[in-house]
Amino acid sequence: MADFLNAYSIQTWLESCPQGYLQDTEYGHAAGLKEPALILENPTLREEAIGTTVQLVVGERAALAASSGLINAAPDHASKRFLATQTLDEARHVEIFTQRLYDLGVKKDELEDTIARHANPHLVRFAEILLEKVDKGDFVAGVVGQNIVLEGLAFSVFEMMQASNVELNPKFAQTLSGTIADERRHVGFGENRIGSLVRQHPEKKPEIERMQKEMAYHMLATFADRFRGQAATLEESRRITQAAGEGSPTRRVWHGTDLASAAPEELEAVLAGTVLAEFKTRLGRIGLDYQTPDRP
Amino acid sequence: MTDPLLETPEFDPASGAEGDTGADTGASEDDKTRPRRRYVIEDDTGFDEVPRKYRRFYRRWAGSRDALAPNEVLCPVCRVVIRSARELRPGDRVYCMPCMSRLTVVVGEGGRLEARVEY
Repeated sequence: MADFLNAYSIQTWLESCPQGYLQDTEYGHAAGLKEPALILENPTLREEAIGTTVQLVVGERAALAASSGLINAAPDHASKRFLATQTLDEARHVEIFTQRLYDLGVKKDELEDTIARHANPHLVRFAEILLEKVDKGDFVAGVVGQNIVLEGLAFSVFEMMQASNVELNPKFAQTLSGTIADERRHVGFGENRIGSLVRQHPEKKPEIERMQKEMAYHMLATFADRFRGQAATLEESRRITQAAGEGSPTRRVWHGTDLASAAPEELEAVLAGTVLAEFKTRLGRIGLDYQTPDRP
Repeated sequence: MTDPLLETPEFDPASGAEGDTGADTGASEDDKTRPRRRYVIEDDTGFDEVPRKYRRFYRRWAGSRDALAPNEVLCPVCRVVIRSARELRPGDRVYCMPCMSRLTVVVGEGGRLEARVEY
């Protein structure tokens, strides 16, 4: 029985989310905000923004499939009801990041091709590992994979991107703020629900820990492709932004690293280090032993 | 069944939390006897991630340089600051509404108050 969900209801979700931080928003941001002209007009920046946003759509599509798939596997009605609201949260995330692709100039009939072209194969594999558990109806492994590993990853990635964009791109930063607020509920559900279930099913720990190790490897490989593999593009995007006078003056510090000036490998290191440390802490709290992934 | 914390007419995230949980929370004898300071909680934080009537009890955390007041504790699950109408002490139980976590206040490393999740 998910006692911690006694206070949770669809009504609470309505008052917190649609009538709270999403009040008066359109696709997650204040009405009328647009992507900066510099991004829309510069092919390098636009392509870089599309590439980043595609990874968000891929991750959120996986989260939508997982959270909806877990509803029927949930052992109690309170969890089913929570997962119903999470399913709508994830569907909203898919929609707002897809809308950003349209705002960046992707045509509707080009959407799937654009996603297929930019989707990182390691992120796709990361999602497949999770969905294999969900498809088997494995609630404990599914919730760990979805609400601790995937949501923990999203929590830190969104925080880092939000900190990077708060001045450069208020529209995108606002969109990310709403998703971070959603992730608080999702990681809270993951920890609180699984904390008790892991104690009831200790025999499941080795399998779940293997899943975490494998998912973490593909997450690191995605980061490596993104930061090291595309370092030249990232540096060029930063040079263009700073030359236009929109990026150089303000330090944007996240976990001790200035996001405005750090080299791509430094950005990769701080993001990977933050996410893995979070995994270790969260898994430890619920009684799972964090497994160090291989380094790609 | 509803949450007794939310049935309380004057909700406080630390309601129903008169200290002793029986666990080792690092509470000193002084903590158990000294009167608690009271705080007026204004709705001034801009926090909008819970229903309106509870928003004043939470605020966003501004990072490691964000000094917490004696009536505040950081939720380790979702990193929102929980604010109580009274000074918090080791052993108090608090509720983080944004992530639904039930927490116990403990003395952490360096003597700072921290929250531990209770599953």
